[in-house]
Amino acid sequence: MSRQLSLSPDPDSGAPPTPEGGGRRPLGLARESTLRRRLMARDEQALVELIELASPWLLGLVQSMLRDQDEAEEVVLEVFATAWDRVGTLGDEHDALLPWLLRIARNRAIDRLRRRRRWRLKLDRAKAFGEVSADRVGPREVNEAAQPGWHVHETVHAALARLPADQREVVRLAYFEGLTHSEIARRLDLPMGTVKTRLRLAFDKLRVTLGSIKDWIA
Amino acid sequence: MTAHDWYTENRAGFVARSLEPDEERTFRDHLARCEECRREVEALERELGWLPMAVRPAAPAPGFARRTAAEVLDRRSRWRRRFPLAAAAVLALAAGTAAFGARREGRELRVQLVRNEVRLAALQDTLSVLRRANNVLQTRISMGGHQGGMLIFQDAASHRWCVIVHGLPPAPVGSKYQFWFITESGMVRSVEVNADPSRPAIMTLPMPGVRAPVMGAALTMEPMRNRSDEPEGVTLAHLVF
Repeated sequence: MSRQLSLSPDPDSGAPPTPEGGGRRPLGLARESTLRRRLMARDEQALVELIELASPWLLGLVQSMLRDQDEAEEVVLEVFATAWDRVGTLGDEHDALLPWLLRIARNRAIDRLRRRRRWRLKLDRAKAFGEVSADRVGPREVNEAAQPGWHVHETVHAALARLPADQREVVRLAYFEGLTHSEIARRLDLPMGTVKTRLRLAFDKLRVTLGSIKDWIA
Repeated sequence: MTAHDWYTENRAGFVARSLEPDEERTFRDHLARCEECRREVEALERELGWLPMAVRPAAPAPGFARRTAAEVLDRRSRWRRRFPLAAAAVLALAAGTAAFGARREGRELRVQLVRNEVRLAALQDTLSVLRRANNVLQTRISMGGHQGGMLIFQDAASHRWCVIVHGLPPAPVGSKYQFWFITESGMVRSVEVNADPSRPAIMTLPMPGVRAPVMGAALTMEPMRNRSDEPEGVTLAHLVF
């Protein structure tokens, strides 16, 4: 089935899908609000716009977790299919679009990682793709500073960098590699209680910093 | 320490998805019946919602947005063609449920319902440890003419124990009942037990935060002044798995 979907900017959005520079724009929240309304009204052009805005972040996250570009694209497709079906269930403006999509994507990626671990394929893939890092750059070049949401990335990165190294390591393994408490405890040779405590302390700090972020389309 | 403390301690792990699969299922079951945990988990998920953006973006392949949008819309229309009756049935069921729910309004009824739900949730949390226990130990204890005992249910999945001490008289003045974990590296102090012969003392305990494996448990009668990491008093029960 083919559809004619324009990739040109939406005239109501007040800004093109991809900014020309890295500076923040003040219309981010208003634009997201408009985008949500259009998605709820089943505006197919709004879906295209959302995919253009969010897919670099979703692909970056899922590729870094799965270390497989094709599988990451499958997951991101599933995320947008879910979002298109469920956008009506999204709450008020406190539930921003991008975190919602990222949460779905991370959960799907973890499900696949665990399935893959059961098949004992993880080690081979890791060897083929190299060491994991939350800083890892995607396989294709992207003009990062021009990417909508780049300022959020910098804020989150700074918040993570301020954590004590031992807490940051537990967050990396739990949140970005999908390891369980017991797997982290084995890998770091720590009691499980220590792993849980470090994760809890790190989250307490992060939620203070990250809880105030609202505007990402800038 | 109550059964609910385990859920409080593991909210961060649930949000990170770092609980073991069976723990995650247990936690998810609990969320369905605990408003407090549901609220806290939702807040934590919302406040940490931007955390995945620590990872750098990756440029999509050319045409990715167009292909993805077309596939999403195509899936949707396929679903619509294939399942119109199912959709109608779901809508009818949702409408019926909503109508039924609307009739059950009434402030007193709702308050009573919430109270009952809280009590039920607490009972279910305790029962979940008992039901899932894969090790059960018991021993008799004679104390001051009373015949009592100690019963331990070990739930290896959630790393919790439900400990029941029954039939014992209150501790003499200046003394206390003290519960200990026995580990490979020695005794680890746990909770003080308030004994009452008319009702059992039921405690749900997490594993101690030590690296050595837990091998069993002991109950001692300690002088009130003893705050050390070693028992000084009389051993009343000594159970090893």
